[in-house]
Amino acid sequence: MFKELDPILHSQLRLAVMSLLISVKEAEFTFIREQTNATAGNLSVQVQKLKDAGYIDVAKQFKDNYPQTTCKITPKGIEAFEAYVKALQQYLQVGKG
Amino acid sequence: METNEKELSTQESLQLIQSMINKTKNVVADDSFYFLLWGWLVFSCCLVQFYLKVYLEFPQHYYVWWLMPVGGIVSGIYGARQAKKIHVKSFVDESLDYLWIALGLSFIVLVTVNILSGRAWDTAFTYYIVLYAIGTFITGKLLRFKPLVIGGLSNFVIAIVSIKFRYEYQLLLGALAILTSYIIPGHLLRIRYLKQKH
Repeated sequence: MFKELDPILHSQLRLAVMSLLISVKEAEFTFIREQTNATAGNLSVQVQKLKDAGYIDVAKQFKDNYPQTTCKITPKGIEAFEAYVKALQQYLQVGKG
Repeated sequence: METNEKELSTQESLQLIQSMINKTKNVVADDSFYFLLWGWLVFSCCLVQFYLKVYLEFPQHYYVWWLMPVGGIVSGIYGARQAKKIHVKSFVDESLDYLWIALGLSFIVLVTVNILSGRAWDTAFTYYIVLYAIGTFITGKLLRFKPLVIGGLSNFVIAIVSIKFRYEYQLLLGALAILTSYIIPGHLLRIRYLKQKH
């Protein structure tokens, strides 16, 4: 049986955000936007979805009077990401066979 | 990446994950400033103190070390300014922060012990050099930067050698240790950082 691919992660931008966050301690919204080439509006919506799913923590604070948003992956997010990668591998193996 | 609803194939998903992870590979802050600042500062202090003590026989030859708190202030200001510019923090950056905080505290403790006991100066530099060795070896390994690793290893050897020398000559060994573990790798690290950036 195929494992269902997690619909929250199986989306281009959300998967990109999670892949960036999996290998760093934390990243600012600006950094994620630069690396994914996404628009601020679209990225905000997707970040909110990941936050609602409990996959990332989002901290908003002020740095020199400018609002700054920092994102960090949660243990639940790491688990979901690993499960997603495992499911992908399963698909690939079946594809080969 | 305009649309978020584009259907991804398995291959595309894996490629996307890989390319994003690759983008975070080189996100390590430029630490060469600290190596160069402390390297040149300690190096100069060692040589000036040696000159004051051996050639001029100036009784307060150790006054040169009052430059260390100045280095601390400059480091603090630079660190605070950098923190504003950095938009991502890797696990390596975080580990290095804690390592150098612990080593900074160790230096303060050692200096305090030396001042309070009054008789530990014979081996003072031996222990300082061991601390340079620990710091630069671990940093080199975490940054995968060989010159720092080699500098660190060389300092373990210099630390052993230093025990055979009197305090004033330990100053020269201290200068040699800092040259091999901070100054040379610091300049090379700066070059590597600038290359990665462009």
